[in-house]
Amino acid sequence: MSSWNIWSVPVGIISLFIISPVLAIFYSALLGDTTLWPHLFSTVLPRYLVNTLLLMLGVGSLSLLFGISTAWLVSRYEFPGRSIFEWALLLPAAVPAYIIAYTYTDLLEYAGPVQGYLREVFNWQNSQDYWFPNIRSMEGAILVMSSVLYPYIYLLTRASFITLPISYFQTSAIYGRKPFFAVALPLARPAIIAGLALVLMETISDFGTVDYFAIETLTLGVFNVWLGMNSLSGAAQISSILFFIVVILLTLELIARRNQRFYEKHSRQETIDLDKISNYQKILFFITCLIPLILGFIIPVSVLLNFVLKGYSVVNISEVVDTAITSITISFVASTTIMLLSFLMVVVATYKSNTFQKSLIFLASCGYAFPGTILAVGVVVFVGWLNEIFYFHINYFIGGFIVLIFAYTLRFLAIGNGSIRSGIMRINPNLIDASRTMGRSFLTTMKKVILPLTYTNILVGGILVFVDILKELPITLLLRPFNFETLATYVYQYASDEMLEESSFAALIIVVAGLGPVIFLSRTIKKYSNKTN
Amino acid sequence: MKLLTLLLITIIGFTNISIAKEVNVYSYRQPILIDPFFEEFTKTTGIKVNVLHAKKGLLERVVAEGANTPADLVLTVDIARLSQFVQKDLLMEVNSVILNKNIPPHLRDSNNKWFALSKRARILAVSKDRVSNNSIKNIEDLADPRWRGKICTRPGSHDYNRSLLASIIAANGEEKAEEWASNLVLNLARKPEGNDRAQAKAVHEGVCDIAVMNTYYFGKMKFNEKNPEQKEWAKSINLIFTNQDNRGNHINVAGGGVVKYSKNKDNAIALLEFLTQPEAQILYSKMNYEYPVNPNVEPSEELSSWGVFIEDQLPVERLAELAPTAQKIIDRVGW
Repeated sequence: MSSWNIWSVPVGIISLFIISPVLAIFYSALLGDTTLWPHLFSTVLPRYLVNTLLLMLGVGSLSLLFGISTAWLVSRYEFPGRSIFEWALLLPAAVPAYIIAYTYTDLLEYAGPVQGYLREVFNWQNSQDYWFPNIRSMEGAILVMSSVLYPYIYLLTRASFITLPISYFQTSAIYGRKPFFAVALPLARPAIIAGLALVLMETISDFGTVDYFAIETLTLGVFNVWLGMNSLSGAAQISSILFFIVVILLTLELIARRNQRFYEKHSRQETIDLDKISNYQKILFFITCLIPLILGFIIPVSVLLNFVLKGYSVVNISEVVDTAITSITISFVASTTIMLLSFLMVVVATYKSNTFQKSLIFLASCGYAFPGTILAVGVVVFVGWLNEIFYFHINYFIGGFIVLIFAYTLRFLAIGNGSIRSGIMRINPNLIDASRTMGRSFLTTMKKVILPLTYTNILVGGILVFVDILKELPITLLLRPFNFETLATYVYQYASDEMLEESSFAALIIVVAGLGPVIFLSRTIKKYSNKTN
Repeated sequence: MKLLTLLLITIIGFTNISIAKEVNVYSYRQPILIDPFFEEFTKTTGIKVNVLHAKKGLLERVVAEGANTPADLVLTVDIARLSQFVQKDLLMEVNSVILNKNIPPHLRDSNNKWFALSKRARILAVSKDRVSNNSIKNIEDLADPRWRGKICTRPGSHDYNRSLLASIIAANGEEKAEEWASNLVLNLARKPEGNDRAQAKAVHEGVCDIAVMNTYYFGKMKFNEKNPEQKEWAKSINLIFTNQDNRGNHINVAGGGVVKYSKNKDNAIALLEFLTQPEAQILYSKMNYEYPVNPNVEPSEELSSWGVFIEDQLPVERLAELAPTAQKIIDRVGW
């Protein structure tokens, strides 16, 4: 079977199209002069690089700790609150990183309630009398970013834990091995790595938090060179470093998965019986699950709620409702588009492509690692070229929507691909072969075999993408049509001047709008995994 | 010809019989600060204002949109961005009697491609208790070792600090400016973080004694009804206008220009003109605590009460030209 077929060629072309804005960034990187580099090398670049790597290391480790531990506990043990934790642990995913940075600063800075209380209790007069950790620091950034990013790992890992064949656990019990280390961890590795890759890409592309905390990462450097030195090409060159870090990450992910191919031997599985545990363990597990939930959701939401109740925020119900409808509509349309493309791309890459086409499809998801604004500029430049060739107007209202959805696809395809890939990896190739041997076309096989078996993965990816678009700021800000507001841009018009109080109502709505899908998702996964086929 | 344009604008402006009663604005400026002006403009002229606000990338968007751009007018909050639009040849020459009359020459482009609409001074906010009067006079004094560990600023790479450093380069040369910046970094009480307001707050909290700040933040704190605690921050600081015995205090401007490919050119010019008229200029001063550019408009009483000061007369274009040099110094000294 030739790999240049009716499936791989169009998908290859789509991939190329999606990746074009990134190529536009590279193009301007190549065009630009390199005279800045000696300066950058001898001054800021080493610092940017070290900080970026430290941040990745910190956020990666802490997110793994939060994500895997909670996923294991809720899918394996019975303890008070477990059924609530199952879905509640996803809630931090609905809190935008730029908002959590604001709320934590408000809470923990000198004038905030925590230090104020301490001063009162210990009768300290001013900041010289005591030491208090500064939230605007590397450690602070690691803490706040991990507490909203761990759900990527939690979600994918838990989906993997609860679909593990029960017989594996029984076998490990017979041999007296610990089920977590002997079975769950190795078998969930593809899911864990997929989640970790998402967390790390989100970390290096973050601008909001690092800017607010003044952590000098590569992303912050991109903006200093672009806006400070008026050199877009210099900025594009630094972005290329980001790109290479990401290619390394994605390659590691692929390698890890290649060495770890495994397939479910039984499609029929029994419902997992939750382990009974001692009271002491119950308390311990309860606390373990509570910590990330408090950090990533309860604290920021309480701060926002407090602002709203104190009447600090501008509450214009009809404006917020309109904005929310726009936000939800565009997020829904875009996330559906993205998941459809993701499914098609991953299926074709797995079953119908040669190495070259695979790499192309693989590269199409690298947009996730670029800072949103840079990506948006890439889209602007690319659409500008199209404009010249096809006279395609970016400025038409409807054109604006298409461009926006295109940019979201470029940015968030990695989430869709990662989540679907971890589902497809577990489909036994014999199933596909069997279907084909029975004379079914590839399209029918896709519909009858692959689609049902990756249903949960599609949902997981789709909802993560939906929530991400709901929160997305820089791309929407730059590419939107006139007078077009999403909840994120609505919040931003106040938040950009560090006036979070006034935008707290809209910020809460973002969180609330994200809750519904997140809870629905959790229920569906559970129902699906418990169903005996 | 000029007169004819003027007449045309007047007709469009006041009799509401224009064909396209719209103007599309790309604004770096935050909506909450500029929307009241637009509402007022629409009320007087009947021209609808469509706004797209973003802090970064609008220039790139106009470049890419080319002749198809829907943008008529660009508004920025600093001079560096404005002159980048000129460098990319995105703005048109506007010859308007009203604009020429309302804006002094050093506050507009020599080719009339951009116009300043308001001014802000970058000043020092010092602790009332811990910094005595007259102990600091020039911006150069911030490099003095006596202030070791006493100064707070936002990161050097922010537009406002870059522009301040550019003015020092213009006055004292690159070498002296770098020496100043590296000594300033030694004097910092903490790693640069937060915005200008956060620095004033740090003075209030005793973290440092001197903050570098734009003037309007003082007004925003002093009259903050939503966050009354900020009034306390304002109470604990004195404002110092620097370099009053020599070149004057550094200023920067917010401004705008008409896009070269504008489809509603007349409306765009009408909006620019509107923003320089006394009514709007007073609004800048009253609402946003910014200084008017129109020499016939006095700053509000509140603004005047902070002190009358001599401005650095350096053409603001120079600030934009020196910005990349300033950024390199900032990178080298790690500000």
